[in-house]
Amino acid sequence: MTRRWEGGLLVGAAALAGFGVVLVNLAAGGGFDLEAGVTVLVFGLAFGLMFAAVQMWAPGASPLLLPCAALLAAIGFAEIYRLAPVRAGLQRWWLLIASMAGCAILFALRKVGLEPLRRYRFLLITLAGIMLLLPLLATSGPLPIHGVEVNGSRLWVQIDLGAIQMFFQPGEVAKLLFVVFLASYLADRAASVPAFVRPAPGLEMRQLAPLLLVWAASVGVLVFQRDLGASLLLLGVFVGMLYAATGRKRYPLVGLGLMAVGAAAAVFLFPHVQRRFVAWLAPFANFEDAGYQIAQAWFGMSSGSLSGSGLGLGRPDFIPLAETDFIFAALGEELGFAGTAALLGAFLLFVAVGLGIALRSRDPFRKLLTGGLTLLVGLQTFLIIGGVLRLVPVTGLPLPFTSYGGSAMVAGFMLLALMLRASHEESQ
Amino acid sequence: MNGPLRRLAMLLMIGFALMIGMATWVQVIAADRYRLDPRNPRPALTQSGKERGRILAVDETILAESIPDPDHRGSFLRVYPEGAPFTYPVGWSSREFGETGLEEAYSSQLRSRRDLTLSDLLAALLGEDLRPHHLVTTIDPAVQQAAYEALDGQTGAVVAIDPTTGAILAMVSSPSFDPAILEEEDAETTWMELSTDPSRPLLDRTTQEHYPPGSTFKTVVAGAAIDTGTAGPETTFPDPTEFQLPGSTATISNFDGEVCNDGVEATVEQAFVRSCNTIFAEVSIATGAEEIGLTADASGFNREIPFPWPLAASVFPTADLVDDPAALAQSGIGERDVRATALVMTMVAAGVANQGVVMHPYLVSRIIDATGATVEETQPIPFERSMAAATAGVVGEMMQKVVREGTGTAAAISGVRVAGKTGTSTGVGNLPNAWFIGYAPAEDPTIAVAVVVEAGGKAGEDATGGSVAAPIARQVIEASLRS
Repeated sequence: MTRRWEGGLLVGAAALAGFGVVLVNLAAGGGFDLEAGVTVLVFGLAFGLMFAAVQMWAPGASPLLLPCAALLAAIGFAEIYRLAPVRAGLQRWWLLIASMAGCAILFALRKVGLEPLRRYRFLLITLAGIMLLLPLLATSGPLPIHGVEVNGSRLWVQIDLGAIQMFFQPGEVAKLLFVVFLASYLADRAASVPAFVRPAPGLEMRQLAPLLLVWAASVGVLVFQRDLGASLLLLGVFVGMLYAATGRKRYPLVGLGLMAVGAAAAVFLFPHVQRRFVAWLAPFANFEDAGYQIAQAWFGMSSGSLSGSGLGLGRPDFIPLAETDFIFAALGEELGFAGTAALLGAFLLFVAVGLGIALRSRDPFRKLLTGGLTLLVGLQTFLIIGGVLRLVPVTGLPLPFTSYGGSAMVAGFMLLALMLRASHEESQ
Repeated sequence: MNGPLRRLAMLLMIGFALMIGMATWVQVIAADRYRLDPRNPRPALTQSGKERGRILAVDETILAESIPDPDHRGSFLRVYPEGAPFTYPVGWSSREFGETGLEEAYSSQLRSRRDLTLSDLLAALLGEDLRPHHLVTTIDPAVQQAAYEALDGQTGAVVAIDPTTGAILAMVSSPSFDPAILEEEDAETTWMELSTDPSRPLLDRTTQEHYPPGSTFKTVVAGAAIDTGTAGPETTFPDPTEFQLPGSTATISNFDGEVCNDGVEATVEQAFVRSCNTIFAEVSIATGAEEIGLTADASGFNREIPFPWPLAASVFPTADLVDDPAALAQSGIGERDVRATALVMTMVAAGVANQGVVMHPYLVSRIIDATGATVEETQPIPFERSMAAATAGVVGEMMQKVVREGTGTAAAISGVRVAGKTGTSTGVGNLPNAWFIGYAPAEDPTIAVAVVVEAGGKAGEDATGGSVAAPIARQVIEASLRS
């Protein structure tokens, strides 16, 4: 019964994406065209495949996660199509690729379950480390793979195979591997980790090392890749999972302290971080400069008011990076508070379902894995939307499932697959 | 592990609450504060470039319309085919310089409703036509054009009304300009020039500026005097060279400094036709401030008249004059603190023309949808009765005599009985405001008109209402009777 509802909701989301495209076309003076049909088809295919994979390989999974992701993707896609039609075309391809990645994970784990992830954690974290380092490769050279600098950050990798050029952000997938690793590590060591606080001679280094590595990695990401958002996210998820595993309040407190110290240091050391703080604290006084993006986002959202200007009828093109980091503001302008509330509601539901799965999990690994993944989504949502709404400085992250971005979409579906699998295993 | 997880969940929920709260702040509670920030380009941009409805004259001549922008697909340009003579009252709608006139007042009816706001979307789903509505105004293009040409660039205003309905036939403010120049490339410079031009072409002189009405106000005084039985046209008053103001050393004299009639006595009619200040000072005191005030109020003085845009006040300060006969005498000849817009003086004439009933003035007769079906229609309604029908008849006879043999002969049209009253009021320095109010044909009036020319127009300090304003009124009436 619930599965049928889930299928219905997915069809609804696909229709919504197509409807969004039609509205955008109408606003531009067009109407129904191939774009709308292709969009419905791609959404139907991407989420239909996931739905079928869940039916076959994780039939006990929660029926709410997939529709939440589909709704977010549909709303986001309509706005991407409105702002950058070419990118929307790419996003459809990415959606299919992401769906296949998600299905592949469900397929691979269909018999063995999550257990291998737990066992081969060091392999996974090494993989994550390599992925994080990839963007630091030289920006040109004989290798077919280059690092790329975008907006002052080194997050991107370009795969140059002559005919085919692809950009992706390995950090997005690395985040997932990091959570898997932490869940596995902490599940095994939960009892002994408190030694970290009061080290006993001769024992601690071996247990301390991985944790310190993580902390160093997050600082490294900040320093070398200039990615404030990913750095905060890693640290936040890390501290949160540590707290969940040990129940020691000093971890979150120390974590917050480290975050504050790190942020303060970053403000002094990096001009691009400093700009973001200025933009956060006084966007309107620095309208011509650092504050322009946030000020325009607020002008847009306030102009959208309750019901929004309508898709394609606002001017979110005034907001820099509206289809990626600031898609929340663009949606706020065109769909109004009704749209932002719906968006937040979908995220809230996703997080609530995720936390529910974590709380019900009997196995510590699954509990920490689902809790950590949910925390990842929740925290990322808060950092990016909170950045637009001036609750925190803008950190430069894609909004899960919603923003334009292939790597993020792939990572999102991989996360979805892991959550679905964990949820299924819990129900058995 | 569930305890800490629950606390983490709590933290996340607080995060979501903060986000919802902040979104509510930006988009709902404080939305206007941010939206109306002058640096936000959206409010001005949302309507510009969109299709707006047409503004049509009474004969459906297009006064304003949106045409597809040849340079931007899906975008529209606002054009005003009839140009400067119609800028007032049509107004303009410009991205840079905002909206005025009918364009502003009826902006929500003229705008395209294809914004897909929640209500528009609902309307669309219910199958409503979202194309913009059009305005059909009461403006008669021939009369409007004639009035603009008659003013001939002089600073001033002409308003013409159909006295039986209140429909405004013409509403000209001069100097004017063609709103098309606001869309040209050097519009910024043009706008600066318009804003700083000492002749103030951006001012709507028909409704947004008021002047002492001078002797045209004697029409109101005569109406009040006859209505109350204080005097009739044959009632005589002493005829001095100068009228000594009670309790004051100041005097009132006639325009030429002579007596009105024979130096002994003059009738009210003689005084009206020759526009004798001395006699009307006496008539005003005899009638009383309150009675004159009632007639003035009924003609539109001291009132908030519902109109598409706010009007400059037309003032007769009744309360200040009750115990001040000297001030009343000066006010009775339309001076001192008495002020009137061209619109309200037209209503004075229209009241006399319509047997004492002042009709509510209106500019838009119908709002129609894209198919031409009427969405909204204005019904003529009486504003107030300014004088008894019999009184209006008597005042009207005197006004005809003004044009036949008095100060207003320049308004005479052969074969047509024109009624009128001239006025020459205090302007700037020694440059007077030249006034004329009137209506025609007297036996069955179809047009009431008021003309005011600031600072004497081309005649300068020699200007009088009879020499400068009356000929303009004649041309306007002629155009109206022709069309």
